[in-house]
Amino acid sequence: MSDKDRIRSLLKEAELYKKQSLLTQSKGKYLNVLQIIESSRQLGNREKLLDAVREKMRAVEEKLTEIDEAPEVPELSESQHNLIRKRFSFSKDKDKAAIEGAVALAKFGQYEQALEQFKKLLRQGILPVVVAKNIITCLLSFSTADAAVAQFSQWVSRESLSRPQLKQIRAFLNSTFGKKGIKAELPKLDEAPAEAGKEDEEGDAVLDLSSISIQLESGPLKGETVEFDVTFQSGNSVSVIIPARRKDLLDSFKTGMELSDIQCFSPIGFFRANGVLFGKTEIKDGPKQGDYLLEIAINAD
Amino acid sequence: MANFNFKERVIECKIVYYGPGRCGKTTNLEYVFKAFKKTTSGDMVSIDTKGDRTLFFDFLPMGLGKIRGCDVMMQLYAVPGQQKYSSTRKMVLKGVDGVVFVADSLEVRRKANLLSLKDLQGNLKEQGHSIFKLPLIIQYNKRDLAEEGFPILPEDVLEQDLNSKLKVPSFTASAVKGTGVWPTLKECMKLTLLELQKELKWAG
Repeated sequence: MSDKDRIRSLLKEAELYKKQSLLTQSKGKYLNVLQIIESSRQLGNREKLLDAVREKMRAVEEKLTEIDEAPEVPELSESQHNLIRKRFSFSKDKDKAAIEGAVALAKFGQYEQALEQFKKLLRQGILPVVVAKNIITCLLSFSTADAAVAQFSQWVSRESLSRPQLKQIRAFLNSTFGKKGIKAELPKLDEAPAEAGKEDEEGDAVLDLSSISIQLESGPLKGETVEFDVTFQSGNSVSVIIPARRKDLLDSFKTGMELSDIQCFSPIGFFRANGVLFGKTEIKDGPKQGDYLLEIAINAD
Repeated sequence: MANFNFKERVIECKIVYYGPGRCGKTTNLEYVFKAFKKTTSGDMVSIDTKGDRTLFFDFLPMGLGKIRGCDVMMQLYAVPGQQKYSSTRKMVLKGVDGVVFVADSLEVRRKANLLSLKDLQGNLKEQGHSIFKLPLIIQYNKRDLAEEGFPILPEDVLEQDLNSKLKVPSFTASAVKGTGVWPTLKECMKLTLLELQKELKWAG
């Protein structure tokens, strides 16, 4: 094959690869052509030919740069966000699926939309610790460590999460900061002045409760009244335990459900209240391992 | 694993088009969308970049009618082929029921095919699937380029490279022209539904 034929064939291949967007391969063929032209003294119009091939190669290089520099995370439409949320959540459980959908948005780099979803879930009281940790992760991914600290401080001051939950989130923040080498001061929970002050200021905090009884309005035990000992209380949030063997009872409580008839017992009396179940989590270790912790926000008004 | 909604009597299966960058995965879906518009149950969604490269995924929903009183929906996806989008491919593969591996017949893409198949095997394994057990079809795409005199790999070389151990059904195709696209998808849907039948213990 003569040099001219080889050049013709290689140029054809280079054009094909360019058309197929196989740009690296296209560039490689143009380089081969340049080498042949440079080493072949018999070719006429060598300089003109070299210029023409270099020009074609430059165009390919520009396209390669354009692709390399294109934003890795494009702006997506609302319907694309919804598609991601719907198609990348696999749990049968509605709450878990909602979290998976928001996590998928974050994994596709749509942090702001993910954050919006997580905040909505937190307001609904769905798996608060998991959701709060995801909020922190989102903020650290697209914003700053200061934003994450500010968010945590807000949760502490507003009592939107219970003390044990805040402790878990604080530990998560500390560990994440440690891994990333970030030095930041987090509000100390035991000395959180705003939190302590809130009860004094408002003067309407729920009394210390020893137990609560709840009339069930749905589920397998509909109509029955069940009583729980309060295992932990922080302000108007109480935690109670359901033993693992009481599956019927467990199935009667769904996170986010409103409880319209709660009798609250304290050492100095009892009162009726309503509330919202904002947390239902399995206890992972300790003597109560396998049991479930229900977290209920009591509204005594 | 297929998603069963017994209350609404809907079964959703997920088929993923996998393969190296620029092998023609999106072109396969585009052809299906155009040619079978009546069967598709929604628009095709592509999340791509300026260079027309799939960035996150392509998505095309298809309705296959009723089986035993249940509506069967096929969700077709294509993954981004470029090596750097490994985590996105893993996400798109989650819950997969069947795979179409699109191989590029061009000689210069021989190594890319092998790397992509290995990547598929690894990602499936991470999700508890075996590439030898999951419904899988291989498509040798871009066969039309031979007519224009371009260097493509002979079918037996591709078979040896990619299918000597797997021994799964394979098809030649030209996605831009539409040849071989439907037979590939039809076979993948058939294998996926057979697997589903086994899972549901439905008698044949």
